[in-house]
Amino acid sequence: MRVILEAKVRKKPFLPIEAESIIPRNFLKGTDLAVYEGNKERKLVDLFRISVEGTAVTPEKIEVVLKGDTSRVKRIGEYMDAGKITISGDVGMHCGNFMSGGDIEILGNADAWLGREMRGGYILCHGNAGHYCASGYRGEKTGMQGGRVEVLGNAGDYCAEYLTGGEVHIHGSCGDMAGVEMKGGQFIIDGDATRPCGNMKDGTCMIFGTVRQMLPTFERIGTKKLPDRKVTVTVYKGDVANRGKGIMMVKGTGRSDE
Amino acid sequence: MLIKDVVCPFCGCLCDDLDVEVENGRIIRVDNACTLGSKTMVGDDRLKAPIRRDGKGWIETTYDAAIEEAAQILLDADRPLLYGWSRTHGEAQGIGVHLAELIGGVVDNTSTVCHGPSILAIQEVGHPGCTLGQVKNRADLIIYWGCNPIDAHPRHMSRYTTYATGFFVKDAHRDRKVIVVDTRRNESADVATEFVQVEPGGDYAVLSALRAIVRGRGDVVPPSVSGVSREQLVRVAEMCKNAKFGAIFFGLGLTMTAGKNKNVRNAIELTDELNRHTKFIISPMRGHGNVYGTNEVFTWITGYPYAVDFSRGIAFYNPGETTAIDILRRGECDACLVVASDPAAHFPKPCVEHLARIPVVQIDPHPNATTHICRLQIPGSVAGIDAAGTAYRMDGVPIRLKAIIETGVPNDTEILQRLYNRVREAKGE
Ligand code: SF4
Repeated sequence: MRVILEAKVRKKPFLPIEAESIIPRNFLKGTDLAVYEGNKERKLVDLFRISVEGTAVTPEKIEVVLKGDTSRVKRIGEYMDAGKITISGDVGMHCGNFMSGGDIEILGNADAWLGREMRGGYILCHGNAGHYCASGYRGEKTGMQGGRVEVLGNAGDYCAEYLTGGEVHIHGSCGDMAGVEMKGGQFIIDGDATRPCGNMKDGTCMIFGTVRQMLPTFERIGTKKLPDRKVTVTVYKGDVANRGKGIMMVKGTGRSDE
Repeated sequence: MLIKDVVCPFCGCLCDDLDVEVENGRIIRVDNACTLGSKTMVGDDRLKAPIRRDGKGWIETTYDAAIEEAAQILLDADRPLLYGWSRTHGEAQGIGVHLAELIGGVVDNTSTVCHGPSILAIQEVGHPGCTLGQVKNRADLIIYWGCNPIDAHPRHMSRYTTYATGFFVKDAHRDRKVIVVDTRRNESADVATEFVQVEPGGDYAVLSALRAIVRGRGDVVPPSVSGVSREQLVRVAEMCKNAKFGAIFFGLGLTMTAGKNKNVRNAIELTDELNRHTKFIISPMRGHGNVYGTNEVFTWITGYPYAVDFSRGIAFYNPGETTAIDILRRGECDACLVVASDPAAHFPKPCVEHLARIPVVQIDPHPNATTHICRLQIPGSVAGIDAAGTAYRMDGVPIRLKAIIETGVPNDTEILQRLYNRVREAKGE
């Protein structure tokens, strides 16, 4: 079954919409769902043109397709557990919060907190992701615990903050403090990163671009050849400031003062 | 008439030892205050009545008409923002939060542009702090990190640190060492025992290096960290470990530079590490007189200290999303109530431009930069001058502000209560 939601043109296009009801499972019972625009509760049909093709009896067989301007629609796919969501343009904050299964594909850019505290499933973002991609919530000590987030563009600051499990792969570059407070999982950055992995406790981070402002508290423990990437990386352990046992692998030495 | 022990409402020090002379209902002299403090108390130039924009100019209006118009603006909005609160008393702040809940708005205070990141850090790792009295009586090592008390909190050094005689610190100037850490040499650095000059944006790395050194892993630290030599870092770490009682005070140099909350978190974790060796505390240098109070009041009502979004009827908090700056920059809100602060003077240009596009109501006694972009301004009395109320000092101690003169102007609590009642009535609740 395919559910196509096309965002209608709104009088106040900048008002945020909160739409955690948009997950495949909810469409098993029809399309009479509530969403919020600013401080007003609305029906899904007030804000989207809805068309449904085919039928399904399990959420796994449902694909939700979003079209039109969805850049201000927040929380799409929150607590999603199965099925697929495809977003043809940009998506607002908190897409895929707490998601535990299924796939989300974003053809445009994703705003901040993409895949926040994710537990399972797969998110693929073709454009750039905002700040706090695949991270934790404020004050929360556990970030993403499982699943996979892949961003083909760049990610903003604090990407994979508190990463605890699962895999984050940024094909472009990350902003400031990627992997800060990491506790586990695997984090791959194909491009550059600034001050990565501060206060890291555990987990592995690999950076194949340039590291700017490498933190002074990572202990160099050797080098390693990565045949599938055809590169030799320098391996660091840290963050020493935090008695951390995390591993950071950096192409070249990563340190400008050596 | 001479009034003793008056509290200065200007900065987070809330000095409570001012002598104020009042004659014919006017303050004519203030003793003991710093220049910032005396300027606040004397020669204060206020609006005489509510004003509203009418075509090209301003016209005076009545409190009743102004409150009616303000209520309509808030009722019509889909995402109203209620911002400011740091210069008014706790009682008014409380009504502000209830008003936000009633209209499904976002309520945020000025910590959003000062120590909000400190609060985020504290929510992650806690706050080893104490009152300023403890610092005054016990601390033999003071660190000012990314702040310049001589300019911003002029009496902090004389009342609590460098020049203050304490119970266990008899000869303050000799017994207390002062370390200043900043990106440039400021006036406070001139009175310091040790000045550490960090390259801009280098605080996080320096704090990490200090943590490693304090726990005996100085071997991994490179010879120079963000412009600071390893020797100096080792010396500073030794001074800290050898202190009997150390106190770190930090300002916007940590909270508003790259890394923000993570800088503060790193400083808190350095404090933790030092507590394995001696007694150490850390405290933010809160700016506005009652900004700490906004955090207290917001927290006891909503559970969150600032940036609280009531649009779904329950409190949601996520700085970066529900903070005033972010909401304005994204052009989300469609009306704004500004109380006791001046966002037009302090916010980035795109935020002020959005404010200029939407209806803004300001409750503030003084004409200010926000006056130029607001539709309606309602003057209230000033807490600590002609209104009484509760304020919180930067270390979290509540202090009662006195009304020292009588002006007959309604205070912010009364204005907000009337606004709240009017909105409630219109909603038929
Ligand atoms: S230090 Fe602050 S509270 Fe004390 S007198 Fe000066 S401005 Fe007022």
